[in-house]
Amino acid sequence: MIRFENVSLEYEPGRFAIREASFRIPAGAFTFLTGHSGAGKSSLLKLIARLERPTAGTIEVGGVDFDKLKPRHEPALRQQMGLVFQDNQLLHDRNVFNNVALPLVIGGYSYTDIKKRVSAALDRVGLAHKALDAPLSLSGGEQQRVGIARAVVARPKLLLADEPTGNLDAEISADIMRLLMQFNSSGVTVLLATHDSGLLDNFNYPRLTLKQGRLVDVHPGTRKGVADRSRQAYSE
Amino acid sequence: MKRKVASRPKQSQRSTQVHNNSAAGKKWTYGKRGYALAQSLRQFTQRKFSSLITLAVLGITLALPALFLFSAQAVQQLASQNIDDESLTLYLNLNVTDLDGAALSQSLNGKPGIQKTRYISRDEALATFQANTDIGEALEALGNNPLPAAIVVYPTKQQADATAIKRLSTQLLALAEVQRVQYDLRWVQRLHAVVKLIQSVGWILAGFLTLTALLVIGNTIRLELLRRQPELDVAKLLGAGTRFLHRPLLYTGALYGFFGGLVGSILALIAFDQIKTPADQLSHLYASTFQLEMPSVSQFLTFLAVATILGWLGALMTLYSPSRQILPTRRTGM
Repeated sequence: MIRFENVSLEYEPGRFAIREASFRIPAGAFTFLTGHSGAGKSSLLKLIARLERPTAGTIEVGGVDFDKLKPRHEPALRQQMGLVFQDNQLLHDRNVFNNVALPLVIGGYSYTDIKKRVSAALDRVGLAHKALDAPLSLSGGEQQRVGIARAVVARPKLLLADEPTGNLDAEISADIMRLLMQFNSSGVTVLLATHDSGLLDNFNYPRLTLKQGRLVDVHPGTRKGVADRSRQAYSE
Repeated sequence: MKRKVASRPKQSQRSTQVHNNSAAGKKWTYGKRGYALAQSLRQFTQRKFSSLITLAVLGITLALPALFLFSAQAVQQLASQNIDDESLTLYLNLNVTDLDGAALSQSLNGKPGIQKTRYISRDEALATFQANTDIGEALEALGNNPLPAAIVVYPTKQQADATAIKRLSTQLLALAEVQRVQYDLRWVQRLHAVVKLIQSVGWILAGFLTLTALLVIGNTIRLELLRRQPELDVAKLLGAGTRFLHRPLLYTGALYGFFGGLVGSILALIAFDQIKTPADQLSHLYASTFQLEMPSVSQFLTFLAVATILGWLGALMTLYSPSRQILPTRRTGM
């Protein structure tokens, strides 16, 4: 699903965000991306989402070699991914329904499809009754769930989450984590960037650890099920 | 991947499904173009006051170009009408008979530089003179008609400039039957010069004001772009392409152009109505058939179309200017 070969990202000469990272994440895996603040987690996610271009190395996502990807095809690639952010990035000038509907409008879905999919996505995150509400009237956890509903509404194959529990307490974090696991169990590849030790301890999925832009550890995790497949792939 | 979404909702979920459907807005706002139009229109309703001020500025700016566009045809008509009426009068010797005078007029007709001629006999000249002046009775007292016969010569349009008419006048004066040639180009020349000056100044002013409108719209779009930065950032992260990101802003520019043009046209029509009466009076003083006509529907629609395109161009200019890096690039929130 995701393949990095000696990838580096250098913002300025000598200032590396990512340095010679190589790893593979198989389709359907749930993977943590961990490291301290400034370790390069967000930069790595940006590289996968094609929001940054590597200064060296090769990236392949979903069978697409980024070296051969034309800029005009980047939006279509991004439509295949779901992005969840720490600050949820909801638009406050519209209600919850229209926030979740945005990826579908961008994707050119029909009105009927949009209604069905948004309803279903909000149902899955347990917020169908809040469809008419303004995002600001929701709690932090609810806002994050709306963000997740928006990320999965177009049924992406890959879900990238950047510190989605960063601003939430332990109980709500676990709730968000369960949601992400739910989507993973339906076949979505999840890459979750976090430095939340509670999450890492409680959910022992495979993890990639970054330190000052270098991939310093690849831990296969101990969880059963999907993790078994992942373990096999990571050890390749 | 499991297709839970497509499955039929359970009984307990149906009420929420209905609730969510009612949360959806109007159908047309979920298409790509409909979404862009809805976003553009929303900016007018959300910021009524600033939108009204911008439209007022655009309306006033576009009023003068509208006025010139509406009156261009009439001014052109005025200029060409006077050229058509240009003429020279040849006063014949008193001993030239009506038969010879008419023959001379006939022979001049169609010669190089001459469009047509008209012969005025001595009797006709007297009758006209008596009808138009108060000293007709005094002429009768003289016993005989002192007025000469005349031939009015209308030069062709190519010969309507001062040098050509002067040359033609010299040629005609050389004829034995002709005693005097009279023409007065000065007032026509002055009128033409004034009309030309007004046209030139008008078009230059209209050009500057159109450029101003373009910049006003461009600047409005730039502010709109900054205001909508969070939405554009998020949309780009969700896979929106350049067209999707630019479309609402282009529509906003076009709508500003359209509504600004509408306000400008209305102001121009009011001004047109105000100057119509004095213009017609002036025309009457010069015995001209010229009349200032109110603009036609097609002129009005043409101006609106031009203003709309102008607005669209203003937005395009901003979006594709060198400073367009304000569009989302690295501000990704990740």
